[in-house]
Amino acid sequence: MKNFDVSKLAKMIDHTELKSNSGEKKIKNLCDEAKQYGFISVCVNPANVEFAKKQLEGSDVLVCSVVGFPLGMNTTEIKALEAKKAVKQGATEIDMVINVGAMRDGKHDYIREDIRRVVQASVPAHVKVILETCYLTDEEIVKACELAVEAGAHFVKTSTGFGAFGSFEHHVRLMRETVGPDIGVKASGGVSNFKDAMRMVNAGATRLGTSAGIVILEGAKLFKYAPEAWLEPEIPCHTCPARSASMAKLPKALYQYYTNMCLKCDHREKYNKFYE
Amino acid sequence: MNGWMNKIVKVDLSTGKQTIINIDKDVRRKFIGGRGLGLKLYTDMCSADIEALDKKNALIFSTGPLTGIIQTAGRYQVTSRSPLTGTIIDSSSGGFFGANLKKAGFDGLVITGKSDNPVYLKVTEEGIEIKDAINIWGKDTHETMKILKNELSSNISVACIGPAGENLVPFASIMNDKDRAAGRGGVGAVMGSKNLKAITASGKKQIPVNDPEGLKKMLSTINTLIDKNPVTGKSLQLLGTSVLVNVINAHGMYPTENFKRGVFNDAEGTSGEKIAETILQGRSACFKCPIACGRKTKTSKREGEGPEYETVWAFGAQLGINDLETITEANYTCNELGLDTITTGSTIGCAMELYEKGVFPEKLVWGDSSNLVKLVEDVAYKRGIGKDLALGSKRLAEKYGRPELAMQVKGMEIPAYDPRGAQGQALSYATSNRGGCHMQGYLISPEILGSPVFMDRYSIEGKAEIVALFQDISAAVDSLVLCRFLQFAISIDTFKDMLNIVTGLDYTEDELLKVGTRIYNLERKFNSEAGFTRKDDMLPARFLEEELSEGASRNRVVQLDEMLDRYYKLRSWDKNGIPSEEIKRELGI
Repeated sequence: MKNFDVSKLAKMIDHTELKSNSGEKKIKNLCDEAKQYGFISVCVNPANVEFAKKQLEGSDVLVCSVVGFPLGMNTTEIKALEAKKAVKQGATEIDMVINVGAMRDGKHDYIREDIRRVVQASVPAHVKVILETCYLTDEEIVKACELAVEAGAHFVKTSTGFGAFGSFEHHVRLMRETVGPDIGVKASGGVSNFKDAMRMVNAGATRLGTSAGIVILEGAKLFKYAPEAWLEPEIPCHTCPARSASMAKLPKALYQYYTNMCLKCDHREKYNKFYE
Repeated sequence: MNGWMNKIVKVDLSTGKQTIINIDKDVRRKFIGGRGLGLKLYTDMCSADIEALDKKNALIFSTGPLTGIIQTAGRYQVTSRSPLTGTIIDSSSGGFFGANLKKAGFDGLVITGKSDNPVYLKVTEEGIEIKDAINIWGKDTHETMKILKNELSSNISVACIGPAGENLVPFASIMNDKDRAAGRGGVGAVMGSKNLKAITASGKKQIPVNDPEGLKKMLSTINTLIDKNPVTGKSLQLLGTSVLVNVINAHGMYPTENFKRGVFNDAEGTSGEKIAETILQGRSACFKCPIACGRKTKTSKREGEGPEYETVWAFGAQLGINDLETITEANYTCNELGLDTITTGSTIGCAMELYEKGVFPEKLVWGDSSNLVKLVEDVAYKRGIGKDLALGSKRLAEKYGRPELAMQVKGMEIPAYDPRGAQGQALSYATSNRGGCHMQGYLISPEILGSPVFMDRYSIEGKAEIVALFQDISAAVDSLVLCRFLQFAISIDTFKDMLNIVTGLDYTEDELLKVGTRIYNLERKFNSEAGFTRKDDMLPARFLEEELSEGASRNRVVQLDEMLDRYYKLRSWDKNGIPSEEIKRELGI
């Protein structure tokens, strides 16, 4: 652990800029930073793919485009078309959002087909399937992972960063256990420092989606000093999705789901004082 | 040598004699500049039996190899012995004075002796002149700067004392570039004890840089790192340091009424957000700094700078006062008269509690702002009860028989974070070489702000390691003489890169960190020789025995002893907190 390799960590990061107010200047900076810090890719909206590709000419930084982003509620045809266009413009990775509502309704065939069509349209690019884990139960996350594997996806991914909360170790571990060692798992949303990053990697993530890549790498340089101290376990509630469940942001049923998760948790008695 | 002007001058004010001090290459490598070099020069010249206000005491102004080159590096460090605490003191100030001193051709000034009459030092490319200061003695800091600028040039930087320094108030500050302060520990009183009113600095000399192209890229990288970090890239820019008021209050560790409580019900009315809505006129920045955390403000009476977070607290929650206009006026007055706002406010808070307990003769009550500005003036001039308050909280509380009511460590008042809400910060306060200080190891960063990562603020596990690490990094950065805020965004590796690009030397990050360790241990060694031991690495009993009754840090006390044992062991200090022969040998001190 003492020789934590910062450059290897950089090669796991999709350097991300997906805000609606990001103009070309920001995308140019994003690309320059990705080259400087050695990130594996830049992750941008489809409208910025062509521009990003030009900025990255001559470098080994990949372009990743989101599709059906951030709600996942476009029709399958539109998602496939959007993916095809992005690949044509230079994207070698596609991060698509599933139709979360359909997943909640149990329309598994629809989800499988939705993913399969995007995978097909994206060849030769790799496809990462965003589950938006905050809106799914553990059972639904497992099922969605299985559907993604069946449909030929290369990665499953936790979050858009626009949902009720981002990625949690609990979900990443569940996804890794479900997809096995041959499929990638990308943790995204809320990965803002090197401890978050390490937590996700230790849970099974092979890729990290974040706009805080530079902050993470700069902070990670401190890790070699006092590594045990930095890794002191936090109060488990601080890293539990149930703790982040917000009544205002989640539908009633999911809020109750997470509240129940918390009520049944073994840690509750010991750390109950933090709920006062 | 690149990065340096290669000139440090000792000025003996008793004789007027000036001597160039040659710095050995090995010393420069081991202590760099600023806090490190100042400390080395000080401890070589002054033993622990020289009192702070003795004319034999030295007062050292020092810059670093990055001064006048890198963002925020307009700063300077002042090293001496503190009249407030009796410890070694280093006090740092922003602005432009450090850069101007260096561009005049000087890496530092060592002031010894005492002038018979008030004088100031005029530092230019031509050299140092000792000038008569009789016409500015007695003037406040703003007037002093104005007069000197009118007399000399508008392009000069002035570092000076106000009436508080002249009157030897043990927490008098040195002010420069209008409202920047070397605030803590009473370096202004040391300056006053030498009859030295001011130092002016100006020059246009080029500072040699080893790798100009590399420097260009580094300056851009620094800007990126500052911009990407949420603290330096957003919070400090938008709301200044007072962004912390609501944050710390929400954590239940915003000290209220002399640390009796951790939640101030009126915090919102004195917050950074409220400052932005009401008195804010604009931002101000130190040398090349993109953060620009300074706040230009305006009350109904006048304009000025601040208040900063610590000052908002010291004249606000600490006294139960919610009147932002008066808090701001008290801040302006401290700046003008040359007083440390933290110690001034905290001492008044101590007096309020002494009054509440029935042992202080003057009526001072929580929340009463009507007399606050006058009280501050009385402190600077040691008038009326100001004479008592000018003792600082430790001596004041001892005088009135209730020493436990002074919220201090080693005589320096603890700033605006209740240690019961952050165990690491508590250890940092207790072991700071200059007393109750948050700057030598800012554990609020990981414990509250999550930078670089979140640590469990209630846990004592791993805190000794991180406190020692932060203290050593801070000492190293103070030797480059950069702003503490850069440490939110920049790692020791990048600081090392800056140093090597400018100087052409080949420091590794481990060697730079070891410079910090060496400084921390040498400071500790001096303090040990001055009689400080484990008994002084102690927090007021309030933090060890009384739980906070409300807010997010309630039902907590500081678990100091356990952390101290671990910390001493880690530092290779004995059970009494004295550095071992082995560590002294290893560090060459």
